[in-house]
Amino acid sequence: MKRRQLLAAGCACCASALVPRAWAQETPDYLAPQRFQRPDLATDEGGLWAMMDREEKALRRSPLVLRDARLAGYVQDIACRLGAAHCPDIRVFLVRTPQFNASMAPNGMLQIWTGLLLRMENEAQLAAVIGHEIGHYLQRHSVDRLRDIKSRAAAGQVLALFGLAGAIGQLAVLAGGFAYSRDHEHEADRIGAHLMHRAGYRVSESAAVWNNLLDEARAREGDEPSATSPLFASHPAPPERRNNLAQLAQSMPGGTDGKDRYAEHTGHLIDEWLQDEIKRGQYAESLVLLSRRIDTGGAAGLMRYYRGEVHRLRGLAGDHDLAWSDYQLAVADADPPPPAFRGIGLVARQRGQMSEARHAFARYLDLAPEAPDAALIKSYLAELNS
Amino acid sequence: MKNLLILSLALLLAACASVRKVESGANPVGERMSINVDGNWNHLDFPGIKPAQLWTMEGITIDELMVYSGIRDGQVMHSESAASDKQKDFAFRKAMQTEEIVSMLEGVLSRDGSTFKLRKLEPYAFGGKKGFRFEFERIRKIDNVQMRGLGFGAVDREELFALVYQAPRLTFFPRHEARVEAIAKAVSIK
Ligand SMILES: [Zn+2]
Repeated sequence: MKRRQLLAAGCACCASALVPRAWAQETPDYLAPQRFQRPDLATDEGGLWAMMDREEKALRRSPLVLRDARLAGYVQDIACRLGAAHCPDIRVFLVRTPQFNASMAPNGMLQIWTGLLLRMENEAQLAAVIGHEIGHYLQRHSVDRLRDIKSRAAAGQVLALFGLAGAIGQLAVLAGGFAYSRDHEHEADRIGAHLMHRAGYRVSESAAVWNNLLDEARAREGDEPSATSPLFASHPAPPERRNNLAQLAQSMPGGTDGKDRYAEHTGHLIDEWLQDEIKRGQYAESLVLLSRRIDTGGAAGLMRYYRGEVHRLRGLAGDHDLAWSDYQLAVADADPPPPAFRGIGLVARQRGQMSEARHAFARYLDLAPEAPDAALIKSYLAELNS
Repeated sequence: MKNLLILSLALLLAACASVRKVESGANPVGERMSINVDGNWNHLDFPGIKPAQLWTMEGITIDELMVYSGIRDGQVMHSESAASDKQKDFAFRKAMQTEEIVSMLEGVLSRDGSTFKLRKLEPYAFGGKKGFRFEFERIRKIDNVQMRGLGFGAVDREELFALVYQAPRLTFFPRHEARVEAIAKAVSIK
């Protein structure tokens, strides 16, 4: 407990000091607590664990959890490198959901959504997110949050609705929907940076995560970043967090980013994750993400194809031209995605370029005869040929 | 959040939903579409469901038939105001090709974090108009149930007409699949 109080005091001091540099330099190395024992069920913390155990049991059976043993093992290894002595208590679940989110429960259940995995450019960025979540876990922030919410007026209503026995569980559910405090977020960022550094990762990648998210958020007109992602809902403004992390990184130089390793373990899933991504219909964000990928190279044909799809689906003035040029570059790639030909066909058909449409549709059906929309495309071809 | 969502949905439904039985025979929906049914369909109405009508045989948490009639250019497909995190809305555009309409419906069906997989998309005469039919699979995020679904639609005089049915892939979808196909076949659009 002493260490926790020390850290909390340190953090409170720094949050008000507004001197990130001093904050970074004066931060002592982080000492993690001992592994946690299961708390007594009669306590509020015990109730919180029990509820998370139930959630984990349900998650274990969920068809949304990726059954990719190699990727799951890889992410578990990253969590173990960061969590060190706590490794045996951390259980990673990769969940197929296209939003950017990660969370760690006090019982050791660590959930990472595929929308987050899609946005990581390298292993160090993923380590930054996991390190941050482990930071919340090591400092038992969720217990603080539960107690904080319990002390608020809203708790009275929950108590009235569920009775005393049901209230802890419901409060825990409620607490899960609340952001951590500003101090908690700063503390988790700082601990995450230490864990990254110790595990040999390049700490500055943690700032890159926020920078990339900010770019996406800003692409949405009229929206505050806090509206776009559960992670933005936390109190410290994203630019402040990014800047603090960048400062911290200066005091922890060196490390590797593990870019190739990350690509090697996730490459085969990017197509599926991008399909999920564009179904969100958040076209401005997707365009920022895809353009960044195109600029930094890697899977160029696929990224061009999906950017073409986003433009075609958005359908604003000029979008069809942009889609057309992306599709053309996608099919010129060494590994052209077959649906890029369909994209060319659809744009050509709409523009009245019948011979281009015919050729592109025929090519698509050649390459993907079993495509779900083959029957529809065949009907287009029959029309074009008549 | 799952429990709370279900709770708030239940409260919402109890407070402001209305349920009425759909009569056998021809049921006009909107100004131009008519649907012929047999069997015990219930029509649920509650805030946030517009511009669709929601019909169900087994109850709203099990199966649902969304009915869209006369959706006009620029009209928003279910405003997002009810959801917690702010998302851009999907809207119908008269210039949409079939693929784009299906993508829009995919987006509507996966907006809650559910997955969507298109199994088939083919031409179909819907209400006597040149339209489309599609089959899909979905894992419903809120309770992880694996769903199967069928959709039908057509654009006529710049308005969209569509039916989208879904039910758990075990038991319920097979039970009602043929009935939904028959409903789609008997739709008329003036
Ligand atoms: Zn956090």
